[in-house]
Amino acid sequence: MNGQLNFEDADLFYERLLDAHQGLSRDQSEALNARLVLILANELGGSDRLAACIAAATEKDAPKALQQP
Amino acid sequence: MRQAPANYTQAPASNGYEFSAGSGYQLPEYPFTPPPELVTGQMTRHSVVIVGAGLAGLSLACALNQYGVTAILLDEDNTVGVKGASSRGICYAQKTLEIFKRLGLYDRIAAKGVQWSVGRTFAGHDEVYSFDLAAATTHNMSTQPPFINIQQFYVEGFLVEQLYADTNRTIDLRWSNRITAFEQKADFASLSITTPAGDYQIEAAHVVDCSGARSPFRAWCNASVTAKKGDDRWCIADVRFKNPPPVERHTWIEAPFNEGRAVWQHLMADGVWRIDYQMRPDADPQEVSREDVVRQRINGQLGRVVSPSEYDIVWVGPYAYRSECVDQLRHGQVFFVGDAAHVVSPFGARGGNSGVQDADNLAWKLAAVIQNRATSKLLDSYHEERHEAATQNVLVTNRTARFLRPADGMERIFRSAAISLAKRHVFARQLVNTGRMSTPNAYSNSSVCGPAGGRALQNVALRWADGSAGDLADLLRWAQGRLLLLVFGALTIEMRRQVWQLMTQTDLRCVQVVYQASLADAVEHVIDPAGHLSGCVGNAAWALVRPDSYIAATGDRFDAALTQASLAATKAAA
Repeated sequence: MNGQLNFEDADLFYERLLDAHQGLSRDQSEALNARLVLILANELGGSDRLAACIAAATEKDAPKALQQP
Repeated sequence: MRQAPANYTQAPASNGYEFSAGSGYQLPEYPFTPPPELVTGQMTRHSVVIVGAGLAGLSLACALNQYGVTAILLDEDNTVGVKGASSRGICYAQKTLEIFKRLGLYDRIAAKGVQWSVGRTFAGHDEVYSFDLAAATTHNMSTQPPFINIQQFYVEGFLVEQLYADTNRTIDLRWSNRITAFEQKADFASLSITTPAGDYQIEAAHVVDCSGARSPFRAWCNASVTAKKGDDRWCIADVRFKNPPPVERHTWIEAPFNEGRAVWQHLMADGVWRIDYQMRPDADPQEVSREDVVRQRINGQLGRVVSPSEYDIVWVGPYAYRSECVDQLRHGQVFFVGDAAHVVSPFGARGGNSGVQDADNLAWKLAAVIQNRATSKLLDSYHEERHEAATQNVLVTNRTARFLRPADGMERIFRSAAISLAKRHVFARQLVNTGRMSTPNAYSNSSVCGPAGGRALQNVALRWADGSAGDLADLLRWAQGRLLLLVFGALTIEMRRQVWQLMTQTDLRCVQVVYQASLADAVEHVIDPAGHLSGCVGNAAWALVRPDSYIAATGDRFDAALTQASLAATKAAA
């Protein structure tokens, strides 16, 4: 899990993410997020990195996983 | 001591949660013969007592018979299968078929059963993905196909006939013999048995519990069980169509003709299709198995009103999934095998197949210990290896169960996401889980497997010294329960010396494997023209192969590691 900055353009990504959800119902947004999570997870691929990301997102055991050398 | 003839309670006609409609199957019946202990009244200590003549118990009996081990096989019923109930297992995986090849009944199974390798998965009206196992590298080196579908009672019947056909058999089949009590002593067990002709007692040095998911031995041995019960309900309809659909495994995750729930469709022998419908969790089992309700589902599936004259309903039965695993597969003299040891939901055909593979794992170890080729410590490796396999099977089937019956909320949302992505992107098909088909389990925690060991070897085709066709199963049969040392390529004098020395220390069989006959310099050699066998052991210089066709170890040099691995594989004293 990379806790450091890795975005080329964080503001641009954030804007696009919000735009993608604009006008969607709660259900549609949930479905979009679920698809996005699966697509991004496949982009990452590695089991250890994915496990660290899930840990970080659940905010359990996250401090250890977040520790950077 | 002989007792007065008892009122023997016949085995129940179904196993409790199943009940049947339809015409059912005609099952063979086997004769009850009063056991010698009843006649003589003497207490006998048997080397091996197998409890339960189902798939696992009969496979074990056949394997022990091949190794020349004396055993008695007890079954409370006088037939194979479950009276009045379904065919249970339908799908036999390559590893199991390879075992049946070695046991000598594969040809009958292949002739009676249905081969398949193509599976298709649908969601709604769309095909989500398909696979062809025949093209997969995991399955293509064997002389057996990826899968054969056949009703379980046919396989059991073939195993019984295989035993009866051997006039020198070492197995005493005792039908209508039910265990009523069990006591574990220091180095043997005592068993009380009831029969239609009276009650008797025996002692056993080894008891193998193959009595199924309702095993009384779990309580008798105080065996702890890790279990999980789901609320997922299914209903099987076994039907025979006049105009059969294609021989493919079809699975629907969300079938439009089953209120958006899952459906399985698989062909067995005799043109019988198993169609398995996922029901509402609160569905009434009685109602969903009513004939008119079953016919309504068939109409929905075929998209028209299908006349009863177009198909027969052979059997109908509702059931619920669960998973259970006994935590220690060995309790003193008792070994838990098959469903007695573990119960999994049927996804991927991991129930019956793992039972046969349990039996094959234990059989050669019992033979090696009883015939003084190994110390009794070898038997502990049964738990190490097969508990790992059972744990893996429970894990894999529970993941499928969770995909097929997602909890309301995010679990369902993620499943919908996976399905919708799978229709457009290759990567997401991997997330769609309608069952991961049974493959041989690897043993990573085994104390009897050395370097590169613990992997199953496929039943590779090879040629005998005279050029005629054979396979690895034949070679293992020839080794008669001993370890098989395969030596690849030319032999130097040094190597020969090492192998000779090894053969004086341990009771193993050694065979040279060469690309062509002219290269052979050992009397016992086989020809591996395309290098398939060599490739399957990772092109090592030697491979130590166990009677269950698992690699114990491989190596590149003829050094002390070879001797060590040979001794470790049987827990022999150094």
